[in-house]
Amino acid sequence: MKKPASAVPAKKRSFMEFMKRREGQRGLVIVLFMAIPLLLLAVFTYIPFLKMVQFSFFDMKYIGDRTFVGLQNYIDVFKRDDIFGALFVSVYYMGGAVVQLALALFFASLMVFKVKGDAFFKGAMFFPYLICGIAVGFIFKFFYARGFVLDSLLQLLGMEMEDIPMWLQDQRINNISLAATSVWRYTGQNMILFLGAMMSVDSDLYEAASLDGANKWHQFRYIILPSIKSIVVLNLILSISGSLSAFEPPYVITNGTMGTGTYFVIMNRLAHENQKVGLACAMAIVLLAIIILCTVAQKLFFKYVFDDGTADESKAAVRRRKMEEKAAKKAAKSGAMAQSSVSGKGGQK
Amino acid sequence: MKKITLKRAASLTMAVVMTGSLAACGGNGGSGKGNTEASAEPIPTIDQITVGEDYKDLEASIKVLTNRTDIVDTVYAGYAQEFMQLYPNIKVEYEAVTDYEESLTLRLTTGDWGDLCFIPTSVNKSELGDYFTPLGSYDTLDPIYNFCTEKSYNGTVYGIANGGTANGVVYNKKVWADAGITDIPRTPDEFLEDLQIIKDNTDAIPMYTNFSAGWPMGAWDAYIGIAATGNPDYMNHDIVHTKDPFAKQEDMTGPYAVYYVCYEAVARKLVEEDPASSDWESSKSRINSGEIASMVLGSWAVQQCKDAGPNADDVGYMPFPITVDGKQYAGAGGNYAFGINKQASSDNQIAAMLYLKWLIEDSTIYEDEGSIPALKGEELPDALADFDGVELLSDNPPAEGEEELFNDVNNKSEVGINNDDYPNCYLLECALYGSKTLDEVVAEWNAQWTQAQEDLGVEITQ
Repeated sequence: MKKPASAVPAKKRSFMEFMKRREGQRGLVIVLFMAIPLLLLAVFTYIPFLKMVQFSFFDMKYIGDRTFVGLQNYIDVFKRDDIFGALFVSVYYMGGAVVQLALALFFASLMVFKVKGDAFFKGAMFFPYLICGIAVGFIFKFFYARGFVLDSLLQLLGMEMEDIPMWLQDQRINNISLAATSVWRYTGQNMILFLGAMMSVDSDLYEAASLDGANKWHQFRYIILPSIKSIVVLNLILSISGSLSAFEPPYVITNGTMGTGTYFVIMNRLAHENQKVGLACAMAIVLLAIIILCTVAQKLFFKYVFDDGTADESKAAVRRRKMEEKAAKKAAKSGAMAQSSVSGKGGQK
Repeated sequence: MKKITLKRAASLTMAVVMTGSLAACGGNGGSGKGNTEASAEPIPTIDQITVGEDYKDLEASIKVLTNRTDIVDTVYAGYAQEFMQLYPNIKVEYEAVTDYEESLTLRLTTGDWGDLCFIPTSVNKSELGDYFTPLGSYDTLDPIYNFCTEKSYNGTVYGIANGGTANGVVYNKKVWADAGITDIPRTPDEFLEDLQIIKDNTDAIPMYTNFSAGWPMGAWDAYIGIAATGNPDYMNHDIVHTKDPFAKQEDMTGPYAVYYVCYEAVARKLVEEDPASSDWESSKSRINSGEIASMVLGSWAVQQCKDAGPNADDVGYMPFPITVDGKQYAGAGGNYAFGINKQASSDNQIAAMLYLKWLIEDSTIYEDEGSIPALKGEELPDALADFDGVELLSDNPPAEGEEELFNDVNNKSEVGINNDDYPNCYLLECALYGSKTLDEVVAEWNAQWTQAQEDLGVEITQ
C-alpha cells in the first residue's frame, strides 16, 4: 500500500507527519529530555558565569550605578601585590596536597592486603571527609588554640609550654598548620578512591608475583602503581587546582589574618567588605585562567616526562608494539609493494 | 487512542507545572505589590496612635522577625504574651533568623517576609520607602525618639532604633582597684600606663583584644569619630573632606589616638599572649571573674558580661580615654531599627505599629538589654553610670547630596572604617610582629584615603 505513495516524488511529508513517525518521536523525546537539564545548566552555571565575565569590566557595587572601566580591573589584579602575594600562600596547600596523596596511597596499599579491622580503619579514615568544611574549621580553631587540645597533648608528652610554638600566630608555621587541616580532611577520601582502583587489580597477580619472589614493595611498584596510575594523576590534578582555591581553613580559623589570606579569602574580602565586585570578578577569572594553565601544564608534564597517566600500556611498550606491527606489515607486503611502503607511509602513524 | 491522549495530557501538565514552579520564584513579588494597592485604608503615623486605647477591636496576626536567636523563645515571646493580654485580638508571633543581615536583604525584595523586622543595614536610605511604611515625619518624631536620623529620608522616618549603645571600654572594677588605680584614665597614655600597672600588680590580662573573632577589632573604628574628636559632624562630613585624617595630631585626639592605644597595647604586650586563639564567648565570663581587666567594646556588651558570671557588680563601663580640650565625649548610635512591611495588609501594618509602639515605650526591653532607650528623656542604663561629665553625642546626618560619599570613599580606599575588620587586624599584626610602626601603617591608610578622594573628586577643605 505504502510503496506507490512514497514513490511519488512531488509529495512532501508535512512536519506533523514527520513528528508522528518513529524518527520524529525519537527526536522529540531526545529534545524534551535534554531540555530541562540543559536549561538548569544554563540558568545556574553558564548565565551566571557570563554575567561574572561582564561584571569584571565594570566598576560596580552590588546595588547602585555601574561604570564601564574596560580592562582596568584586570590591570589592578596584576598590579596589586596583596593579590598575587596571596597565590604564594597556595604553595603551602600544594605541599599539603602532595603529602596527602602520599599518605592516602600508603594507607590504601596497606589496606588492600588482608588487615584486621580494615572496615573500622576505612571508616575512621574516611570520616573527616563527611564533616563540612566550616565545622572542620571550628574543630581546628580549638585544636590549635593556645593551651587547648594540641598544646595539652604535647605537654602530656613532656614538652614545655615555652617550647611549643603558637600554631596560628607564628608566621613561620601558621600556614602549615592550616594546610594540615585540609590534609586531615581529604586523606581519607583520596584513600577510598585509591582503594577502589586497587580492588580492581586481579589478586591472582599478587600470588603469581610472590611465587616469582616479589616482595610487597615490588608488588606495589610493579603491579599496583601501574594499574592505578590514571587515578593517581587525576587526584593530583584535582588536589593542585583545589589548593589554588583553598578557602575554608583560612577563612574560618584565622579569617585570613596573620599572613594566611589565600587568593579566595582576599577575593571574598574585596567583594563583600569593600564592595569592589568588579575587581573580585576579574580576580575570579584570572584564577580560572591560572587553574586551567596549571591543569594543562600538569597534563603535558605527565604525558612527556612520565608515561601517559591515562594509558594502560607504558609509552615505551606502545612504541615497541607499533614498531613490531609495522615490521610485520612490511614483511607481508614486501615483494609486490616494496617501493611504495618505504617512501609513502613513513613513520607517522 | 484515549489512553494516548490521557498520557499526553498528563505529560503536558507535568511540563507546565515544572516550568510554573521555576517561574514562581520571580512571580511572588509582583502579586504582593498588587494586593496593597487594592487595600487603601489610611495608615496612621506612630505618634497619632495611643497604645491600649485605639484599635481595640482590630483583628490581625503579625509576624516579627529578629536576629536574636538566643532569646526569641524566652524573652521576646514574653513581650508578645504581655502585649496579647492588652490586645487579645492581635496575635504576635516571632521568627528568629540566623545570618540575619544577609538572609533578610534577600527576603525583603520578595515583599513576603512578615510584618515587623529590624531593617538590615544594607538597605540604603533612598530605598527605605520601597520596603517600609512611613512612621511619621522627621520633625514630629525627632523630639520624641532617639536616633531618628539614622532611618529617615527626605524628612520621613521609616524606622525607629531599638534603643542605642554608647561607646566606651568595658572593665572589671575590682581588678582595676586591686591594681591600685583610683582614677579613670582620661588620655591614651594614662590608659596605657594603667594597663601596665595592672600587668605588674595582678594576674589579669590587662586588655583582651578578641582578635580572632574579627569584629571586636573592627569595633575600634567606632571611637574615631565623636569619642576622639567631640565633633558630631566628623564621621559623616569632616573625615571625607580632610587631608590625611589618620595622621598624628599634637594633642593626641582624632583617629590616630584611637589606633595608638590599640597598637601600643599590643606592642607593649599588654594583651593576651596569643590573640590568634582568643575566644569571644569565654571572654565574657573571664572579664566577669577578673581574669581579664578590660575590653574595648560598645555598651551593649556590658549586660552580657554582667550576665556571664556571678560578679555582675564588678563589671563597669568607662568612656574611651581621649580628652578633647579638657572634655570627654562618647558616641551613641542606634541599634537595629524596627521597620514595618509596606506590602502587608493595612490591618497588619496598624497592628505591627501598635506592637512597635508598645515595645519601645511600655515594655521592659531596654532595662533587659541595658541599652539607651528609644524614647528621649528616659533614664540612661546603669551601665553608663560612670559617664558623669561625659557628653553623649550622635553623629549628624551627612549633608544633602553627600549621603553616599563616606561609603564610597571608605570602600574605594579599602580603609574599611566600620565595615571591614581586616585593616584593624593588620594594625594588630604589625604591632605584634613589629613589622611596621604605627606611623607607617597610618601613612598607608592616608595614602589610600587620599587616592580615593582624588578618584571620586572630593573637595579637600581641611
